[in-house]
Order: sequence, then C-alpha cells, then structure tokens
Amino acid sequence: MRVDPSYVTNLVGSLDDAQASQQQLTAELSSGVSITSLSQNPVASGENVLLLNQIQQDDSFTQSTNLVTGQLQVADSTLGSVVSQLTQAISLATQANNGTQNPSDVKSIASQISGILDEVQSLANTSYQGQYIFSGGQTSTTPFATSTASSPAVTGYNGDTDVNYLVTPNGQKIQLNVPGSQIFLGNGSNNVFGALNALIADYSSGTVDTTKAVSDTTALSTSLGYVSQQRVTIDNSIGQVTAAGDAVTSAQTQLTSAQTNLMQADVGQVSTQLSLSETQQTALEDVIAQLESQSNSLFSKLQ
Amino acid sequence: MGTVNVAFSIMTQALEANQAALNIVANNVANANTPGYTTESPNFQQSQPLQIGGVSYGDGVTETGATSARDRVLTERLNQQQQTASSTSARLTALNTVQALFTPDSGSSAGQAGDISSDLTGFFNSFSSLEENPANNSMREEVLSSASTLAADVSNAAAGLNSQRSAIDQEASGVTGQVNSLTSAISQLNLQIQSTSPDSDAGTLEDQRQQDLSQLSQLIGVNQITTENNGISVTTTAGQPLVSEGQNFQLTTGSVNGVTHFFVSGADITSQLAGGGGQLGGYLTARDQDLPAVLGSLDQLAYSVSTQVNSLNNAGTDLAGDNGNAGDIFSAPPGLASGNAAGSAAAMSVVMTDPNHIAAAGTGMGTGDNSNATAMAALGNKAIVNGSTPTDYYANLVSQLGAEVSNVQTENTAASASVTQLQTQNNALSSVNLNDEASAMSNFERSYQAASQVFTMLNTIIASVLNLGSQATVS
Repeated sequence: MRVDPSYVTNLVGSLDDAQASQQQLTAELSSGVSITSLSQNPVASGENVLLLNQIQQDDSFTQSTNLVTGQLQVADSTLGSVVSQLTQAISLATQANNGTQNPSDVKSIASQISGILDEVQSLANTSYQGQYIFSGGQTSTTPFATSTASSPAVTGYNGDTDVNYLVTPNGQKIQLNVPGSQIFLGNGSNNVFGALNALIADYSSGTVDTTKAVSDTTALSTSLGYVSQQRVTIDNSIGQVTAAGDAVTSAQTQLTSAQTNLMQADVGQVSTQLSLSETQQTALEDVIAQLESQSNSLFSKLQ
Repeated sequence: MGTVNVAFSIMTQALEANQAALNIVANNVANANTPGYTTESPNFQQSQPLQIGGVSYGDGVTETGATSARDRVLTERLNQQQQTASSTSARLTALNTVQALFTPDSGSSAGQAGDISSDLTGFFNSFSSLEENPANNSMREEVLSSASTLAADVSNAAAGLNSQRSAIDQEASGVTGQVNSLTSAISQLNLQIQSTSPDSDAGTLEDQRQQDLSQLSQLIGVNQITTENNGISVTTTAGQPLVSEGQNFQLTTGSVNGVTHFFVSGADITSQLAGGGGQLGGYLTARDQDLPAVLGSLDQLAYSVSTQVNSLNNAGTDLAGDNGNAGDIFSAPPGLASGNAAGSAAAMSVVMTDPNHIAAAGTGMGTGDNSNATAMAALGNKAIVNGSTPTDYYANLVSQLGAEVSNVQTENTAASASVTQLQTQNNALSSVNLNDEASAMSNFERSYQAASQVFTMLNTIIASVLNLGSQATVS
C-alpha cells in the first residue's frame, strides 16, 4: 500500500491546532471569561444579553429607590410636622372655646393660630430638589397661597390632582405623591386651610361665637384625621419601595450569579484542558523531532 | 556468430532502457517538492521476438516513456471539496470579523461602552430614573447622553458592517484577475495537449493543467468536462462556460447599485456564483446574504426604537411647556415616509440638544407629571421591534449570528477534513515517495550493472573467438 510521504506536514497541522487551542484557553484564563465570541456558544450569548438587561434594570431600580425613598421620607416628615402643628391649633382652639379667656387672650390665640396657618402653608409648599412635593404634576408652581381679601381668608391651591407612580422591574406601580389638594383641602370636605382660616376669623375680634367656633374646631379635628390618613398612603409607599428594592436586590444577586456561571471561565476545567493541550503539543513535537532526526528515507542507506 | 551479435544488441538496449528508467527516477527525485508534480514510472516493453527457423528468440527491451501516476476522478473530487472548503473558509473569515462587532459583554455593571444591549437597557433605564423626578435636569441630561451612546454604538456597528461589506467586495473583484489568468492558461494547455498527446496522459502538461484547475477551484466553483482529444472544458457550477477547449471566456466586473457584479459573455452571473463555491462564492455569500441579514436586523432595531421613542416624545408635554409637539429625540430614519427600515442603523443619531424637550409628562399634564416617562421606560419591555422587545430582538440577533458563524465553522471544519483526507489519498498515489525512488534506483542500477557485466562477458567471448584460443592481439 502506498502512503502519503508528506505525513510530517499533517503532524505540523495538528501542532498548529494544539497551539491555537492553547491560545484560546490562555485567553479564557487571563480574561476570566469563557465566551469570547458569539459562535463559541450562540445560545449562551443570547441568554447573556437577556440576563444583563435584567441585572442592569435591577441595578438602575436600586439606585432609583434611594432617591424615591428620600423624597417620600421628606413628604412623610413634612406631614408629621403638619399633624403636630394642627394638634397644637386644636388645643389652642379648645382653650379659646371654653369661655374662660378674656378678649385679649382670644386675640392672642387668633394670632397664634394665624402663625400655625403660615407654618402649615409653608410645610405644604415644601420642595424636594427644587420641586414642590404637594402640587401634583405642577411641581414648579407654589401650590398654596392665602388671599386675605375676604374674611375668613381663603387659601387656594394652584397645583393639580396628578399622581405619579414608580414602576418596578416586576411591573408593580408604587404611588410617589399625594396631591396637596387631597391632603390639605380634603377634596372640599376636610379642608385644613378652610378650618384654620375660619378659626382665625372666629377669634380675631376677641369675642367668640362659641357654637360656630366649636363647629370649626371639630372641622379642624376631622381634617387632621384626614391628613393622617393621607400620611398613611405615603408611609405605605415607603414600605413598598423598600420591599421592592430588597426583592430586586435579591433577584439581582441571583441573576448575577446565573450570569457569572454562564460567562465565567471555570478556572479548574480550563487549566486542566490547557495542561492536556500542552502535553499533546510536547508529544507532537517529540514525534516530529524523532521523525526528522531519523533519516526516514532509503536513500540514506544506499552506498 | 549472429547470435552473439544479437546478444550485444540486446544488452545495448537493456543499458539504454535502464538509463532511461534512471533518468525518470532522477526526474522524480528532482521534482519531489514541485507543486502539482505527479510521480512517473518507466514503461519497459519487451521487443518483438525474432523467429528463426520456427523458433522464437527474445530480442531485448525498450523503455517507451514515463507514465504519470494519476487518478483524474480523485483529483476532480479533491477539487470539488476544495471549492467547498475555500468557500466556507472565506465566508467564515468574513463572519468572524462581523461577530467581533458584537463581542459578548461579560461585565454585570451597567453601561459598558460598545455593547448595544447595555446601551438599550441604559437608554430605557434613563427613563425609569426620570420617573422618580421628571423635572430633574441631570436626569434629563442622562436620557440624552444614554440616547447618544445607543445611537453612536448602533451607527458604528452599521458603519463597521458597511465597511466590511465593501472590503469583501474589493476582495471579490480582486479574484477575477486570477480566475482569468488561470482559465487562459488552461485553454492554452488544452491546445498544447490536444496537439501533443490527444490519446494519452500528457504528463507534465497534464500536471500543469491539473495544478491550474486546483488553483481555480480555490477561487471559484467550477465543473470540468473532458472533451475529445484529451481537452477539458470548464464551466462555473451553474453552467456558464469559462474554458471551451482552446478558448477561454473572461470573467468581467461592473458596478451595479454600488456593489461589484460579475459577468461572463455579457451575462450577469453574480447570484449563481454566490452559491457556487470557491473563495469568490464565499465572499459573495457573505457580501450578499450574511452581512445584509445582520445589517437588516440592526436597521429594524434602530428604526423601531427611533420611531417609537420619537412618537411618544411628541405625544407628551416637555419642561418648556410644549404640549404634543416636543420634537424628536432621534433623527427620523431615512425610510420613515415609506416605512422602510433600510439604512436606519447607519443614520441613527440624536437630534435633540435641549434636555428640556424630553416630554416626561403626559399630554396636558403639569411638567411634574411622569406618565409619559413611564410610558417611554415601558417601551424597553414592550414588543415594539417586529413583535419582540428591543432586548429580546437584540438577543435573538446575537444568537442567530453566533449560530450562523458556528454552522459555517462546522461546515468549514468538515470540508477541510475531507480535503485533507482526499489530499492524503492523492498524495499517496501521485506524490514522489523517496523510499520508492531509492528502491527503484537500486533496482535499475543493478540491472544496468548486470547488463554491463553481460556486455563485458560477451566482449571476452568475442575476443576468444577472434584469437582462436591463443593469447594474442585482441584482449
């Protein structure tokens, strides 16, 4: 049987292959990544795109939650201050209504409640990072202003009833704000500013129409209860954001570990392959060297 | 005495025949490394016997020339496999360059440069961030900057694909010159072979012709047909003649719609060449099928994202108070009027310069509203590109490209292995084996020595006869 006399060339081809495989394995070891081109594992490459998309969405949401929590906490603590101011106003009004105060005390109470009104209005006009937090969608407009043209004075709302939501990566919608009209004007029936303005008008003359003043005080109490209810919405949102943030962080951890498993080189496995490939290369080199050193042609035997 | 003279004549022929055989061995050894050389072996032929008085006497040997050890079926098979191997190899080279544009992103941190999938996520995430604080200027800037990154990476990838396409186009048209010089050489060899050895193997000329055919097979897909008087006609795989005996038909090129097309005798054979094999077939498959497919997907992605984002931005209220006319974020795709996505990726850019024109608020809402930003962020998870979300579509593009490259790689490995196998078979038959040559040389040398010895003996015999038994004048 005749054989291909240029078999050493084929061996050199195998040597090239072994070296190429070592190059690939060394690249995997040094970069720590097992898939350096799409064709190495097309399915994993596609999967990697989807995993990274989710991881990055989660990453971005985690950053968002910090900022959103800050804003919600400002709203919450603002409403906390409002509640304590209103509680104080109610106690002042109750004091004025008990019939034991002289006119100058009543006037002084009127002026104190007026101070509380200013304070509550200023709280209602709180802004976070330059945006009013109780003006609905009109975040660049000061939501509340009091006009003293009539008596009792009227505190008007310049915002709107827009509610913003934050959508989590799972699609859950979390309420980010409660419009000022809902908190402070109680959609008409639980009007904080209306009750305060009425009380100021009730006491400013020094004489008290007890029936009306008691009714206005009751209205303020009801409004206070309504403000507290609205504060619960904000508190709920803080809880939801924190829970969503935690859930997303734990999902992100799992996704990251899945992505790492998918893309990262298994150092042990790659090292073993590299060592095998090196052994193969040494063997091939030995074979080639031996074939070359042996005079593998009959010509060398001819005398 | 006639008999001794005949013996002389027989030995002379034997010396000549062995010398001729030694020449053939020498030629084989000399050409051991010549590409395309086919090993030759001497043909010894017994001379016509003499009839003397009804008895037949052998009349020596003649050497009638060398025969090349050639299997034309095997070489043709080798050429065909070579065409597949060259075609897949050229296509693989092109596809490897393409997939380098879409290297998998290994990092898990957001926004690594150059990766379109991260860019897409980053862009839609910037709208999610804008949800928290729709009037925030730095978040608005972030939207525009992530849009610029996305547009730049998409248009760079498209530009990369286009420049690869034109590089392949040039490579392909460069092949024409080599094809023409080979077909011209084959037609010349056809004429020479037809005149010198119309009925038998033409030896060295045939070696050259086979070598040219083998080179031609690396460049272009061909079929060969043996014609009368030992000629060969060559056609492309689809049947257009390139060589017809002594005539060759030039492959010419011309630019059609910005790409090189190939013509033979005035007929455009570009599409037939693409599937035909050889380097040219591989280049044309890559140029006309593989690259346009990737570019088409990228165009579709750019077109859908640009138009959807633009139309939503024009359906909201921006910070400057524009209601329903905030303007485009991305440049309008070139084929917008006709709904044609072609060219969208290369042309993708951000036209908005003022972040205040990002319409985060819904139509008619205050500027602090975030409903439109929420809607734009939701586009990232909405089936807006041919029924898939942008990320799914991109993931699919990546998997398909990877699978395509992997397929071609497998085809190429198989074709190369088959070529190696056929090459080994062909080498075993046709290449010069120095061991065989050494043994043949010893053999012929011994025969030559034997013939010389016989000649010397005959000389002694004749001397004895001439001196009639006495040691005298003739030695």
